[in-house]
Amino acid sequence: MKEKSVINITDGAAIPLKKDPGLFSAWRIAFFGSLSVLAYLLLSRPKPYVDILKFLPDGILVTFQVTFCSIFFALFLGLITGIGRISRNRLINAIASTYVEVVRGIPLLVQLFYIYYALGRFVRVPDIVAAVIAMSFCYGAYMGEVFRAGIESIDKGQMEAARSLGFNPSQSMFYVILPQAWRTILPPVGNEFIALLKDTSLVSILAVADLLRRGREFASETFTYFETYTLIALIYLLITLILSKLVSIMEERLRYYERH
Amino acid sequence: MSATEPVTEPIIRMERVTKNFGTLQALREISLHVHPGEKVVIIGPSGSGKSTLLRSINRLERIDSGHIFVDGQDITDIRNDINKIRMEVGMVFQSFNLFPHKTALQNLTLAPMKLRKIPRAEAEANGLRLLRKVGIEDKASVYPSRLSGGQQQRVAIARALAMNPKIMLFDEPTSALDPEMIGEVLDVMVTLAREGMTMVVVTHEMGFAREVADRVVFMDQGEILEDRPPQVLFQQPSHPRTQKFLSQIL
Ligand SMILES: Nc1ncnc2c1ncn2[C@@H]1O[C@H](COP(=O)(O)OP(=O)(O)O)[C@@H](O)[C@H]1O
Ligand SMILES: [Mg+2]
Repeated sequence: MKEKSVINITDGAAIPLKKDPGLFSAWRIAFFGSLSVLAYLLLSRPKPYVDILKFLPDGILVTFQVTFCSIFFALFLGLITGIGRISRNRLINAIASTYVEVVRGIPLLVQLFYIYYALGRFVRVPDIVAAVIAMSFCYGAYMGEVFRAGIESIDKGQMEAARSLGFNPSQSMFYVILPQAWRTILPPVGNEFIALLKDTSLVSILAVADLLRRGREFASETFTYFETYTLIALIYLLITLILSKLVSIMEERLRYYERH
Repeated sequence: MSATEPVTEPIIRMERVTKNFGTLQALREISLHVHPGEKVVIIGPSGSGKSTLLRSINRLERIDSGHIFVDGQDITDIRNDINKIRMEVGMVFQSFNLFPHKTALQNLTLAPMKLRKIPRAEAEANGLRLLRKVGIEDKASVYPSRLSGGQQQRVAIARALAMNPKIMLFDEPTSALDPEMIGEVLDVMVTLAREGMTMVVVTHEMGFAREVADRVVFMDQGEILEDRPPQVLFQQPSHPRTQKFLSQIL
Protein backbone atom coordinates (compact mmCIF):
# COMPACT_ATOMS: atom_id res chain seq x y z
CA MET A 1 0.00 0.00 0.00
CA LYS A 2 1.10 3.52 -0.69
CA GLU A 3 1.10 5.81 2.26
CA LYS A 4 -2.36 7.08 2.94
CA SER A 5 -2.93 10.14 0.81
CA VAL A 6 -4.07 13.30 2.51
CA ILE A 7 -6.34 15.02 0.09
CA ASN A 8 -7.09 18.64 0.73
CA ILE A 9 -8.10 20.36 -2.44
CA THR A 10 -10.08 23.38 -1.34
CA ASP A 11 -10.71 24.99 1.99
CA GLY A 12 -13.46 23.06 3.72
CA ALA A 13 -13.78 23.85 7.37
CA ALA A 14 -11.18 22.91 9.94
CA ILE A 15 -12.10 19.33 10.77
CA PRO A 16 -11.99 18.75 14.50
CA LEU A 17 -10.14 15.60 15.51
CA LYS A 18 -10.05 14.06 18.94
CA LYS A 19 -6.28 13.92 18.93
CA ASP A 20 -6.13 17.67 18.29
CA PRO A 21 -7.61 19.16 21.46
CA GLY A 22 -6.90 22.76 20.49
CA LEU A 23 -9.06 22.55 17.41
CA PHE A 24 -11.60 20.42 19.21
CA SER A 25 -12.22 23.05 21.84
CA ALA A 26 -12.07 25.73 19.15
CA TRP A 27 -15.00 23.95 17.56
CA ARG A 28 -16.86 24.00 20.88
CA ILE A 29 -16.16 27.66 21.46
CA ALA A 30 -17.29 28.56 17.96
CA PHE A 31 -20.38 26.38 18.04
CA PHE A 32 -21.72 27.18 21.47
CA GLY A 33 -20.52 30.77 21.18
CA SER A 34 -22.44 31.40 17.98
CA LEU A 35 -25.48 29.59 19.37
CA SER A 36 -25.41 31.84 22.44
CA VAL A 37 -24.96 34.99 20.39
CA LEU A 38 -27.85 33.92 18.16
CA ALA A 39 -30.11 33.23 21.14
CA TYR A 40 -29.10 36.50 22.81
CA LEU A 41 -29.84 38.58 19.72
CA LEU A 42 -33.21 36.94 19.11
CA LEU A 43 -34.30 37.35 22.72
CA SER A 44 -32.90 40.77 23.50
CA ARG A 45 -33.76 42.48 20.21
CA PRO A 46 -36.59 40.52 18.61
CA LYS A 47 -37.62 43.53 16.52
CA PRO A 48 -35.25 43.26 13.59
CA TYR A 49 -33.74 39.84 14.33
CA VAL A 50 -36.83 37.63 14.53
CA ASP A 51 -38.21 39.32 11.41
CA ILE A 52 -34.96 38.69 9.56
CA LEU A 53 -34.88 35.07 10.68
CA LYS A 54 -38.43 34.49 9.49
CA PHE A 55 -37.45 35.80 6.07
CA LEU A 56 -34.52 33.43 5.59
CA PRO A 57 -35.74 29.77 5.55
CA ASP A 58 -36.58 29.86 1.82
CA GLY A 59 -33.03 31.00 1.17
CA ILE A 60 -31.54 28.27 3.35
CA LEU A 61 -33.57 25.75 1.39
CA VAL A 62 -32.24 27.07 -1.91
CA THR A 63 -28.69 27.02 -0.58
CA PHE A 64 -29.11 23.35 0.32
CA GLN A 65 -30.76 22.57 -3.01
CA VAL A 66 -27.88 24.10 -4.95
CA THR A 67 -25.38 22.35 -2.69
CA PHE A 68 -26.92 18.89 -2.98
CA CYS A 69 -27.57 19.06 -6.71
CA SER A 70 -24.07 20.39 -7.36
CA ILE A 71 -22.35 17.79 -5.19
CA PHE A 72 -24.30 15.03 -6.94
CA PHE A 73 -23.19 16.08 -10.41
CA ALA A 74 -19.72 17.02 -9.18
CA LEU A 75 -19.27 13.49 -7.79
CA PHE A 76 -20.35 12.00 -11.09
CA LEU A 77 -18.07 14.32 -13.06
CA GLY A 78 -15.30 13.76 -10.54
CA LEU A 79 -15.45 9.98 -10.92
CA ILE A 80 -15.13 10.26 -14.70
CA THR A 81 -12.39 12.89 -14.41
CA GLY A 82 -10.46 10.91 -11.82
CA ILE A 83 -10.52 7.79 -13.98
CA GLY A 84 -9.62 9.90 -17.01
CA ARG A 85 -6.63 11.37 -15.21
CA ILE A 86 -5.13 7.92 -14.65
CA SER A 87 -6.14 6.57 -18.04
CA ARG A 88 -3.36 5.32 -20.27
CA ASN A 89 -5.33 6.58 -23.26
CA ARG A 90 -3.48 9.80 -24.08
CA LEU A 91 -6.48 11.65 -25.47
CA ILE A 92 -8.75 10.89 -22.50
CA ASN A 93 -5.93 11.71 -20.12
CA ALA A 94 -5.23 15.00 -21.85
CA ILE A 95 -8.88 16.04 -21.80
CA ALA A 96 -9.31 15.22 -18.11
CA SER A 97 -6.04 16.88 -17.10
CA THR A 98 -6.76 20.00 -19.11
CA TYR A 99 -10.19 20.28 -17.55
CA VAL A 100 -8.66 20.15 -14.08
CA GLU A 101 -5.97 22.69 -14.94
CA VAL A 102 -8.43 25.12 -16.48
CA VAL A 103 -10.86 24.95 -13.60
CA ARG A 104 -8.09 25.35 -11.04
CA GLY A 105 -6.74 28.40 -12.82
CA ILE A 106 -9.94 30.45 -12.96
CA PRO A 107 -11.61 31.99 -9.91
CA LEU A 108 -14.94 30.36 -9.14
CA LEU A 109 -16.77 33.67 -9.38
CA VAL A 110 -15.41 34.26 -12.87
CA GLN A 111 -16.41 30.70 -13.86
CA LEU A 112 -19.88 31.30 -12.54
CA PHE A 113 -20.31 34.46 -14.59
CA TYR A 114 -18.75 32.88 -17.62
CA ILE A 115 -20.84 29.72 -17.63
CA TYR A 116 -23.96 31.70 -16.81
CA TYR A 117 -23.55 34.06 -19.76
CA ALA A 118 -22.01 31.52 -22.14
CA LEU A 119 -24.93 29.21 -21.45
CA GLY A 120 -27.34 32.12 -21.88
CA ARG A 121 -26.20 32.60 -25.46
CA PHE A 122 -27.48 29.17 -26.46
CA VAL A 123 -30.27 28.14 -24.11
CA ARG A 124 -32.53 29.84 -21.69
CA VAL A 125 -32.34 27.89 -18.43
CA PRO A 126 -33.54 28.92 -14.97
CA ASP A 127 -30.92 30.76 -12.96
CA ILE A 128 -30.70 28.00 -10.40
CA VAL A 129 -29.96 25.42 -13.11
CA ALA A 130 -27.18 27.60 -14.51
CA ALA A 131 -25.82 27.97 -11.00
CA VAL A 132 -25.82 24.21 -10.43
CA ILE A 133 -24.12 23.59 -13.78
CA ALA A 134 -21.40 26.10 -12.98
CA MET A 135 -20.82 24.80 -9.45
CA SER A 136 -20.77 21.18 -10.67
CA PHE A 137 -18.32 22.03 -13.44
CA CYS A 138 -15.94 23.63 -10.99
CA TYR A 139 -16.25 21.10 -8.18
CA GLY A 140 -16.18 18.19 -10.64
CA ALA A 141 -12.54 19.05 -11.22
CA TYR A 142 -11.76 19.14 -7.50
CA MET A 143 -13.64 15.87 -7.02
CA GLY A 144 -11.64 14.44 -9.92
CA GLU A 145 -8.49 14.96 -7.90
CA VAL A 146 -10.08 13.33 -4.87
CA PHE A 147 -11.12 10.28 -6.89
CA ARG A 148 -7.75 10.08 -8.60
CA ALA A 149 -5.91 10.06 -5.28
CA GLY A 150 -8.39 7.54 -3.87
CA ILE A 151 -8.02 5.16 -6.79
CA GLU A 152 -4.25 5.53 -6.79
CA SER A 153 -4.15 4.60 -3.12
CA ILE A 154 -5.25 1.06 -4.04
CA ASP A 155 -2.45 -1.42 -4.71
CA LYS A 156 -2.08 -2.06 -8.42
CA GLY A 157 -2.13 -5.81 -7.81
CA GLN A 158 -5.86 -5.44 -7.17
CA MET A 159 -6.52 -4.26 -10.70
CA GLU A 160 -4.29 -7.03 -12.07
CA ALA A 161 -6.09 -9.68 -10.05
CA ALA A 162 -9.45 -8.45 -11.29
CA ARG A 163 -8.30 -8.25 -14.91
CA SER A 164 -6.72 -11.71 -14.74
CA LEU A 165 -10.09 -13.16 -13.70
CA GLY A 166 -11.65 -11.68 -16.84
CA PHE A 167 -13.19 -8.46 -15.55
CA ASN A 168 -12.99 -5.60 -18.04
CA PRO A 169 -11.60 -2.25 -16.86
CA SER A 170 -14.91 -0.74 -15.77
CA GLN A 171 -16.07 -3.91 -14.02
CA SER A 172 -12.73 -4.02 -12.19
CA MET A 173 -13.18 -0.41 -11.16
CA PHE A 174 -16.74 -0.98 -10.02
CA TYR A 175 -16.44 -4.32 -8.20
CA VAL A 176 -12.87 -4.18 -6.92
CA ILE A 177 -11.22 -0.75 -6.87
CA LEU A 178 -13.96 1.71 -5.89
CA PRO A 179 -15.37 -0.41 -3.03
CA GLN A 180 -11.89 -0.19 -1.49
CA ALA A 181 -11.17 3.41 -2.44
CA TRP A 182 -14.27 4.94 -0.87
CA ARG A 183 -12.72 4.98 2.59
CA THR A 184 -9.95 7.23 1.33
CA ILE A 185 -12.37 9.25 -0.76
CA LEU A 186 -15.16 9.86 1.72
CA PRO A 187 -13.49 12.26 4.19
CA PRO A 188 -12.19 14.67 1.52
CA VAL A 189 -15.57 14.48 -0.21
CA GLY A 190 -17.13 15.63 3.05
CA ASN A 191 -14.63 18.44 3.15
CA GLU A 192 -15.41 19.47 -0.42
CA PHE A 193 -19.09 19.36 0.43
CA ILE A 194 -18.58 21.97 3.13
CA ALA A 195 -16.45 24.13 0.87
CA LEU A 196 -19.08 23.88 -1.82
CA LEU A 197 -21.85 24.88 0.55
CA LYS A 198 -19.95 28.02 1.45
CA ASP A 199 -19.15 28.75 -2.16
CA THR A 200 -22.82 28.58 -3.12
CA SER A 201 -23.12 32.03 -1.56
CA LEU A 202 -21.52 33.24 -4.80
CA VAL A 203 -24.58 32.21 -6.80
CA SER A 204 -26.56 34.96 -5.14
CA ILE A 205 -24.92 37.18 -7.73
CA LEU A 206 -26.74 35.24 -10.46
CA ALA A 207 -30.16 36.16 -9.11
CA VAL A 208 -30.55 32.83 -7.35
CA ALA A 209 -32.51 33.37 -4.16
CA ASP A 210 -30.18 31.58 -1.79
CA LEU A 211 -29.55 32.43 1.85
CA LEU A 212 -27.29 35.38 1.09
CA ARG A 213 -29.55 36.82 -1.61
CA ARG A 214 -32.63 36.57 0.58
CA GLY A 215 -30.77 38.40 3.28
CA ARG A 216 -29.68 41.12 0.89
CA GLU A 217 -33.24 41.59 -0.32
CA PHE A 218 -34.51 41.96 3.23
CA ALA A 219 -31.72 44.32 4.22
CA SER A 220 -32.15 46.67 1.27
CA GLU A 221 -35.83 47.04 2.04
CA THR A 222 -35.50 47.59 5.77
CA PHE A 223 -32.00 49.10 5.90
CA THR A 224 -30.94 46.57 8.55
CA TYR A 225 -27.71 45.66 6.77
CA PHE A 226 -25.61 45.10 9.87
CA GLU A 227 -28.20 43.00 11.67
CA THR A 228 -29.02 40.90 8.59
CA TYR A 229 -25.42 40.09 7.72
CA THR A 230 -24.70 39.28 11.35
CA LEU A 231 -27.47 36.71 11.28
CA ILE A 232 -26.43 35.30 7.90
CA ALA A 233 -22.84 34.88 9.03
CA LEU A 234 -24.05 33.08 12.16
CA ILE A 235 -26.26 30.76 10.15
CA TYR A 236 -23.48 29.83 7.68
CA LEU A 237 -21.15 29.30 10.59
CA LEU A 238 -23.56 27.02 12.43
CA ILE A 239 -24.27 24.96 9.32
CA THR A 240 -20.61 24.43 8.46
CA LEU A 241 -19.74 23.69 12.09
CA ILE A 242 -22.40 20.99 12.24
CA LEU A 243 -21.29 19.54 8.92
CA SER A 244 -17.62 19.54 9.87
CA LYS A 245 -18.56 17.71 13.06
CA LEU A 246 -20.37 15.10 11.01
CA VAL A 247 -17.34 14.69 8.76
CA SER A 248 -15.08 14.25 11.77
CA ILE A 249 -17.39 11.62 13.24
CA MET A 250 -17.35 9.84 9.90
CA GLU A 251 -13.55 9.96 9.83
CA GLU A 252 -13.36 8.50 13.32
CA ARG A 253 -15.67 5.69 12.26
CA LEU A 254 -13.57 4.93 9.20
CA ARG A 255 -10.42 4.92 11.29
CA TYR A 256 -12.07 2.56 13.73
CA TYR A 257 -13.14 0.40 10.81
CA GLU A 258 -9.62 0.30 9.42
CA ARG A 259 -8.14 -0.83 12.72
CA HIS A 260 -10.63 -3.64 13.17
CA MET B 1 4.39 -37.48 -21.49
CA SER B 2 3.11 -34.90 -23.89
CA ALA B 3 6.53 -33.27 -24.03
CA THR B 4 7.92 -36.31 -25.75
CA GLU B 5 4.81 -37.27 -27.68
CA PRO B 6 2.91 -34.14 -28.64
CA VAL B 7 -0.21 -35.72 -30.04
CA THR B 8 -2.35 -32.73 -29.11
CA GLU B 9 -2.31 -29.14 -30.30
CA PRO B 10 -0.46 -26.90 -27.85
CA ILE B 11 -2.86 -24.95 -25.61
CA ILE B 12 -0.24 -22.23 -25.22
CA ARG B 13 1.89 -21.40 -28.21
CA MET B 14 4.40 -18.55 -27.99
CA GLU B 15 6.14 -17.75 -31.27
CA ARG B 16 9.22 -15.50 -31.39
CA VAL B 17 7.90 -13.23 -28.67
CA THR B 18 9.82 -10.07 -27.80
CA LYS B 19 9.07 -7.55 -25.12
CA ASN B 20 11.04 -4.41 -24.36
CA PHE B 21 10.86 -2.04 -21.42
CA GLY B 22 12.42 1.03 -22.97
CA THR B 23 15.85 -0.12 -24.04
CA LEU B 24 15.74 -3.22 -21.86
CA GLN B 25 14.94 -6.45 -23.70
CA ALA B 26 12.86 -8.40 -21.20
CA LEU B 27 11.95 -11.17 -23.68
CA ARG B 28 14.05 -11.98 -26.75
CA GLU B 29 12.47 -14.13 -29.42
CA ILE B 30 10.88 -16.52 -26.95
CA SER B 31 9.17 -19.57 -28.37
CA LEU B 32 7.43 -21.96 -26.03
CA HIS B 33 4.73 -24.57 -26.49
CA VAL B 34 2.66 -26.01 -23.67
CA HIS B 35 0.30 -28.91 -24.32
CA PRO B 36 -2.93 -29.60 -22.45
CA GLY B 37 -2.21 -31.24 -19.12
CA GLU B 38 1.47 -30.36 -19.20
CA LYS B 39 3.25 -28.84 -16.23
CA VAL B 40 6.04 -26.47 -17.12
CA VAL B 41 8.25 -24.97 -14.44
CA ILE B 42 10.24 -21.85 -15.28
CA ILE B 43 13.40 -21.10 -13.36
CA GLY B 44 16.12 -18.50 -13.73
CA PRO B 45 17.84 -15.64 -11.96
CA SER B 46 15.98 -12.58 -10.81
CA GLY B 47 15.29 -10.16 -13.65
CA SER B 48 15.63 -12.83 -16.33
CA GLY B 49 12.10 -12.24 -17.63
CA LYS B 50 10.15 -15.07 -15.96
CA SER B 51 7.32 -12.86 -14.72
CA THR B 52 7.17 -10.97 -17.98
CA LEU B 53 6.83 -14.25 -19.91
CA LEU B 54 4.10 -15.52 -17.62
CA ARG B 55 2.21 -12.21 -17.62
CA SER B 56 2.35 -11.97 -21.39
CA ILE B 57 0.37 -15.23 -21.63
CA ASN B 58 -2.78 -13.50 -20.32
CA ARG B 59 -1.73 -10.13 -21.74
CA LEU B 60 -1.07 -8.44 -18.43
CA GLU B 61 2.04 -7.43 -20.40
CA ARG B 62 1.60 -6.55 -24.03
CA ILE B 63 4.31 -7.93 -26.24
CA ASP B 64 6.14 -5.94 -28.91
CA SER B 65 6.43 -8.63 -31.57
CA GLY B 66 5.67 -12.29 -32.13
CA HIS B 67 2.47 -14.17 -31.45
CA ILE B 68 0.89 -15.91 -28.49
CA PHE B 69 -1.93 -18.37 -29.07
CA VAL B 70 -3.96 -19.45 -26.07
CA ASP B 71 -6.44 -22.24 -26.67
CA GLY B 72 -6.21 -21.55 -30.38
CA GLN B 73 -6.81 -17.79 -30.15
CA ASP B 74 -4.19 -15.20 -30.96
CA ILE B 75 -4.22 -12.95 -27.88
CA THR B 76 -2.23 -10.27 -29.68
CA ASP B 77 -5.10 -9.89 -32.15
CA ILE B 78 -7.26 -7.09 -30.75
CA ARG B 79 -10.34 -8.56 -32.43
CA ASN B 80 -10.24 -11.43 -29.93
CA ASP B 81 -11.92 -10.60 -26.63
CA ILE B 82 -9.09 -10.73 -24.09
CA ASN B 83 -11.54 -10.82 -21.18
CA LYS B 84 -13.08 -14.04 -22.50
CA ILE B 85 -9.62 -15.56 -22.91
CA ARG B 86 -8.57 -14.50 -19.41
CA MET B 87 -11.59 -16.32 -17.96
CA GLU B 88 -9.92 -19.53 -19.14
CA VAL B 89 -6.50 -18.66 -17.68
CA GLY B 90 -6.18 -18.56 -13.89
CA MET B 91 -3.35 -16.55 -12.39
CA VAL B 92 -1.77 -16.75 -8.94
CA PHE B 93 0.47 -13.89 -7.83
CA GLN B 94 3.41 -13.76 -5.48
CA SER B 95 1.57 -11.17 -3.37
CA PHE B 96 -1.78 -13.06 -3.35
CA ASN B 97 -3.81 -9.94 -4.32
CA LEU B 98 -6.95 -11.14 -2.60
CA PHE B 99 -9.79 -8.63 -2.50
CA PRO B 100 -9.57 -7.27 1.06
CA HIS B 101 -13.16 -6.01 1.12
CA LYS B 102 -14.52 -9.49 0.43
CA THR B 103 -14.57 -12.59 2.60
CA ALA B 104 -12.69 -15.69 1.49
CA LEU B 105 -15.86 -17.14 0.00
CA GLN B 106 -16.86 -13.86 -1.65
CA ASN B 107 -13.41 -13.71 -3.22
CA LEU B 108 -14.27 -17.01 -4.87
CA THR B 109 -17.82 -16.21 -5.93
CA LEU B 110 -17.41 -12.67 -7.31
CA ALA B 111 -16.06 -13.49 -10.77
CA PRO B 112 -18.19 -16.61 -11.43
CA MET B 113 -21.36 -14.71 -10.48
CA LYS B 114 -20.58 -11.55 -12.44
CA LEU B 115 -18.79 -13.02 -15.43
CA ARG B 116 -20.19 -16.52 -15.85
CA LYS B 117 -23.62 -15.49 -14.53
CA ILE B 118 -23.71 -18.43 -12.15
CA PRO B 119 -26.50 -18.13 -9.54
CA ARG B 120 -25.34 -17.25 -6.03
CA ALA B 121 -26.32 -20.55 -4.43
CA GLU B 122 -24.44 -22.54 -7.04
CA ALA B 123 -21.41 -20.22 -6.93
CA GLU B 124 -21.29 -20.50 -3.14
CA ALA B 125 -21.61 -24.27 -3.16
CA ASN B 126 -18.80 -24.47 -5.67
CA GLY B 127 -16.78 -21.94 -3.67
CA LEU B 128 -17.13 -23.98 -0.49
CA ARG B 129 -16.13 -27.11 -2.35
CA LEU B 130 -12.95 -25.37 -3.53
CA LEU B 131 -12.19 -23.99 -0.06
CA ARG B 132 -12.52 -27.54 1.26
CA LYS B 133 -10.18 -28.70 -1.46
CA VAL B 134 -7.51 -26.20 -0.40
CA GLY B 135 -8.16 -27.07 3.25
CA ILE B 136 -9.70 -23.89 4.65
CA GLU B 137 -13.44 -24.39 4.45
CA ASP B 138 -13.74 -23.12 8.03
CA LYS B 139 -12.42 -19.69 6.96
CA ALA B 140 -15.14 -19.09 4.37
CA SER B 141 -16.59 -16.03 6.09
CA VAL B 142 -13.26 -14.56 7.20
CA TYR B 143 -11.70 -11.48 5.59
CA PRO B 144 -8.22 -11.90 4.05
CA SER B 145 -6.53 -9.66 6.65
CA ARG B 146 -7.33 -12.34 9.25
CA LEU B 147 -5.68 -15.12 7.28
CA SER B 148 -2.06 -16.21 7.35
CA GLY B 149 0.02 -15.86 4.18
CA GLY B 150 -0.30 -19.55 3.40
CA GLN B 151 -4.06 -19.43 3.87
CA GLN B 152 -4.33 -16.31 1.70
CA GLN B 153 -2.41 -17.93 -1.11
CA ARG B 154 -4.60 -21.03 -0.92
CA VAL B 155 -7.69 -18.83 -1.17
CA ALA B 156 -6.07 -17.09 -4.14
CA ILE B 157 -5.56 -20.43 -5.86
CA ALA B 158 -9.16 -21.39 -5.12
CA ARG B 159 -10.34 -18.01 -6.47
CA ALA B 160 -8.59 -18.69 -9.77
CA LEU B 161 -9.98 -22.25 -9.88
CA ALA B 162 -13.51 -20.98 -9.26
CA MET B 163 -13.60 -19.71 -12.85
CA ASN B 164 -12.93 -23.27 -13.96
CA PRO B 165 -9.92 -22.30 -16.08
CA LYS B 166 -8.14 -24.51 -18.59
CA ILE B 167 -4.72 -23.16 -17.66
CA MET B 168 -3.19 -22.03 -14.38
CA LEU B 169 -0.26 -19.60 -14.20
CA PHE B 170 1.72 -19.24 -10.98
CA ASP B 171 4.25 -16.44 -10.46
CA GLU B 172 6.47 -17.40 -7.52
CA PRO B 173 3.47 -18.38 -5.41
CA THR B 174 5.52 -19.28 -2.34
CA SER B 175 8.21 -16.58 -2.43
CA ALA B 176 6.36 -14.21 -0.11
CA LEU B 177 5.57 -16.91 2.45
CA ASP B 178 7.18 -17.77 5.75
CA PRO B 179 9.04 -21.09 5.31
CA GLU B 180 6.61 -23.07 7.46
CA MET B 181 3.72 -22.14 5.14
CA ILE B 182 5.34 -23.07 1.85
CA GLY B 183 4.43 -26.75 2.19
CA GLU B 184 0.69 -26.24 2.50
CA VAL B 185 0.61 -24.18 -0.71
CA LEU B 186 2.81 -26.60 -2.65
CA ASP B 187 0.59 -29.49 -1.52
CA VAL B 188 -2.40 -27.80 -3.12
CA MET B 189 -0.43 -27.26 -6.32
CA VAL B 190 0.72 -30.88 -6.40
CA THR B 191 -2.88 -32.06 -6.03
CA LEU B 192 -3.91 -29.78 -8.85
CA ALA B 193 -1.13 -31.13 -11.03
CA ARG B 194 -2.20 -34.74 -10.31
CA GLU B 195 -5.72 -33.86 -11.45
CA GLY B 196 -4.36 -32.99 -14.87
CA MET B 197 -4.42 -29.19 -14.82
CA THR B 198 -2.25 -27.43 -17.37
CA MET B 199 0.21 -25.42 -15.30
CA VAL B 200 2.99 -22.93 -15.94
CA VAL B 201 4.81 -22.24 -12.72
CA VAL B 202 7.61 -19.79 -11.98
CA THR B 203 9.22 -21.03 -8.79
CA HIS B 204 12.48 -21.69 -7.01
CA GLU B 205 11.08 -24.77 -5.30
CA MET B 206 13.22 -27.41 -7.00
CA GLY B 207 11.54 -30.22 -5.06
CA PHE B 208 8.22 -29.22 -6.59
CA ALA B 209 9.80 -29.04 -10.05
CA ARG B 210 11.26 -32.54 -9.68
CA GLU B 211 7.99 -33.96 -8.44
CA VAL B 212 5.47 -32.55 -10.90
CA ALA B 213 7.17 -30.85 -13.84
CA ASP B 214 7.11 -32.44 -17.26
CA ARG B 215 9.61 -29.83 -18.40
CA VAL B 216 11.79 -27.29 -16.69
CA VAL B 217 12.62 -24.14 -18.63
CA PHE B 218 15.72 -22.18 -17.67
CA MET B 219 15.65 -18.49 -18.55
CA ASP B 220 18.41 -15.92 -18.44
CA GLN B 221 18.48 -12.37 -19.75
CA GLY B 222 15.20 -12.68 -21.60
CA GLU B 223 16.09 -15.94 -23.35
CA ILE B 224 15.18 -19.57 -22.88
CA LEU B 225 18.51 -21.37 -22.57
CA GLU B 226 17.22 -24.84 -21.75
CA ASP B 227 13.92 -26.67 -21.89
CA ARG B 228 14.19 -30.26 -20.65
CA PRO B 229 12.58 -32.80 -18.35
CA PRO B 230 13.60 -32.07 -14.74
CA GLN B 231 15.80 -35.12 -14.21
CA VAL B 232 17.86 -34.24 -17.31
CA LEU B 233 18.11 -30.53 -16.52
CA PHE B 234 19.02 -31.02 -12.88
CA GLN B 235 21.45 -33.90 -13.48
CA GLN B 236 23.19 -32.74 -16.65
CA PRO B 237 22.58 -29.06 -17.31
CA SER B 238 24.14 -28.43 -20.69
CA HIS B 239 24.52 -24.68 -20.52
CA PRO B 240 27.20 -23.20 -18.25
CA ARG B 241 24.81 -20.51 -17.01
CA THR B 242 22.31 -23.19 -15.99
CA GLN B 243 25.07 -25.00 -14.12
CA LYS B 244 26.03 -21.80 -12.35
CA PHE B 245 22.43 -20.98 -11.44
CA LEU B 246 21.71 -24.48 -10.15
CA SER B 247 24.88 -24.57 -8.10
CA GLN B 248 23.81 -21.34 -6.41
CA ILE B 249 20.28 -22.40 -5.67
CA LEU B 250 20.58 -26.08 -4.73
N1 LIG C 1 6.92 -2.56 -15.78
C1 LIG C 1 8.26 -2.59 -16.01
N2 LIG C 1 8.91 -1.48 -16.40
C2 LIG C 1 10.23 -1.51 -16.66
N3 LIG C 1 10.99 -2.59 -16.53
C3 LIG C 1 10.41 -3.73 -16.14
C4 LIG C 1 9.01 -3.79 -15.85
N4 LIG C 1 8.70 -5.05 -15.49
C5 LIG C 1 9.87 -5.75 -15.54
N5 LIG C 1 10.88 -4.96 -15.93
C6 LIG C 1 12.27 -5.39 -16.14
O1 LIG C 1 12.27 -6.48 -17.03
C7 LIG C 1 13.21 -7.45 -16.64
C8 LIG C 1 12.52 -8.77 -16.42
O2 LIG C 1 11.67 -8.65 -15.30
P1 LIG C 1 10.83 -9.86 -14.73
O3 LIG C 1 10.11 -10.49 -15.82
O4 LIG C 1 10.04 -9.33 -13.59
O5 LIG C 1 11.97 -10.83 -14.21
P2 LIG C 1 11.87 -12.06 -13.21
O6 LIG C 1 10.43 -12.33 -12.94
O7 LIG C 1 12.58 -13.16 -13.89
O8 LIG C 1 12.61 -11.65 -11.97
C9 LIG C 1 13.87 -6.93 -15.37
O9 LIG C 1 15.09 -6.33 -15.74
C10 LIG C 1 12.91 -5.91 -14.86
O10 LIG C 1 13.59 -4.88 -14.19
MG1 LIG D 1 9.32 -12.26 -11.15
